[in-house]
Amino acid sequence: MTLSVADPSRAATGAKRAGRVPLLLAGPSVATMVVFFLIPVVVVLFYSFLHGELWQVSGPATLGNYDNALSSPLHRTLAWNSIVIGLVVSSLAVVIGLAVAHWLHFSAGRLATPVLSLVVASMFASYLVRIYAWRSVLGSNGIVNTTLERVGLIDEPLGFLIFNRLAVVLAGLHITLPLAILILYAAIRPIRADDLWAAEDLGSNPVTRWRLVVVPLMAAPMVNVGMLIFIISSSDFVTPQFLGGTSGQLIGVQVNRYFRAAGDYGKGAALVVLMIAFYAVVYAVLQGILRLARVHKVDWG
Amino acid sequence: METRRSIPTAVVTGAALFFLFAPLIFVVMFSFHSTTSLTLPFEGFSLRWYREVVDDESVRRGLLTSLRVATLTAAVTFVLGTAAAYGVSRSTSRLTGPAAALFVAPIAMPALILGVSLLSFFSERDVSLSTTTVVIAHTVFVMPIFYVVAYTALSRIEEAQLEAAADLGATPWYRFRHVVFRQVLPVLAAGAALTFIISFDEFIITFFVIGNDSTLPMVIFSRLRRTIDPSINAISSMLLFVNLFVWLIAVIFTVRAEGRRRRDVARQIEDL
Repeated sequence: MTLSVADPSRAATGAKRAGRVPLLLAGPSVATMVVFFLIPVVVVLFYSFLHGELWQVSGPATLGNYDNALSSPLHRTLAWNSIVIGLVVSSLAVVIGLAVAHWLHFSAGRLATPVLSLVVASMFASYLVRIYAWRSVLGSNGIVNTTLERVGLIDEPLGFLIFNRLAVVLAGLHITLPLAILILYAAIRPIRADDLWAAEDLGSNPVTRWRLVVVPLMAAPMVNVGMLIFIISSSDFVTPQFLGGTSGQLIGVQVNRYFRAAGDYGKGAALVVLMIAFYAVVYAVLQGILRLARVHKVDWG
Repeated sequence: METRRSIPTAVVTGAALFFLFAPLIFVVMFSFHSTTSLTLPFEGFSLRWYREVVDDESVRRGLLTSLRVATLTAAVTFVLGTAAAYGVSRSTSRLTGPAAALFVAPIAMPALILGVSLLSFFSERDVSLSTTTVVIAHTVFVMPIFYVVAYTALSRIEEAQLEAAADLGATPWYRFRHVVFRQVLPVLAAGAALTFIISFDEFIITFFVIGNDSTLPMVIFSRLRRTIDPSINAISSMLLFVNLFVWLIAVIFTVRAEGRRRRDVARQIEDL
């Protein structure tokens, strides 16, 4: 078969190219991300094998930084705290976020837009402001203690409100909850209400509805949001400084100490590399579980 | 769509809103307090802390630095991110996948790790830390968010529009400028507002790459270490007001543009 220039199918493909642009347009951004994102991570990987002193590194290559990172009892405590607090914050954020998303989508009706706007507005409080806010709520001169004293319920400030893991969890949840609500709301929207209520009309009780319909359909976004929030809350190094006391310190505090106060980039870099490796393993395991449970891909029909 | 009342989820939602807002309301409320006390009862309304903060040289300088950093970050991200999202959404190259992955990857990286890697990188290359390094760091940090927003808007534009414009003789630049850009500008503006706000508020990465200057969050941080006093409430509230203001403008702009677009479409349908 021969094609002439006037062949309409040929003309059509010619016109189709009008919608195409070269990927080269993405070139400057690719260069930016390679130079200022990928290469810095590689630099940290290199530094983790070098001896650090006075904000400089020097050779020869050594595994001493990893030995230091893994053998120190302090690091073990901090890592354990980070995992526990990360798990508690991400679980709470996912469970509460799912309930709020469910209410917004299936029950809120006309209230959905104003409530959603409030959630978005709450995101605009900056990170330090939130930490400060919790300090002024929970502190010994804070709102909770002074109000309880005034009412006469307590004689002296409740010490367990601040400078511990509870305070770090509260602030961490405050920082991440709006994110969880917004992402889970976006994820729940494709579920049709008619399908959900059909299950109920056919006699399923609310528990069955959640167990068989809502949770399986939402499993993948819940796991992904949970992972994101686990990363954010377990790597926090400012909240523990102001609210954590001695029991609520996290691994990020030590990373900060190595990079800033101690000037030992090598030891800090080894901790960072181990953190990245840990997050990657957790992510891979969670994705594997989702795959085994066959809920990683839902056909919305 | 049928909605049904659900008491348990309604209760959780109410509790979540209380949890999110109560601490913030206290911060804003006591920024207007007439005494140094940060506890109830509220003894009187005054603007003295705002006056004190506005007269404070370090706060003023911090505010200007923050505005400069956030504006530059938003502008750089706008140009780079729009070009990148346009390229990826309209290209058939096999490299679009890896490129897109690279643009969104930093979102999975904790800010602490981004901060210390950039610090190591700048120190390795002997780059002295300044607001320039902060803008670079912020651009990397906000790129995923702007890219996703821009990509979503740009990929919604139908190929047929560009083909029609090409048939009528429009050059590639003209097609972008008058067919694509006009349609996506409201969304891109909202994306830019978001990147501005994130950069304006950013503390963790800034902390590692800023050198001797101070952004407003750095000023708050240094005061947080010293004491608790209502001037921090005033700075915090100002930060919140700026963010809400920028966001409100973006929302109004987007809603208006969307309304205009709908009216245009309605008119065209009527003309038919």
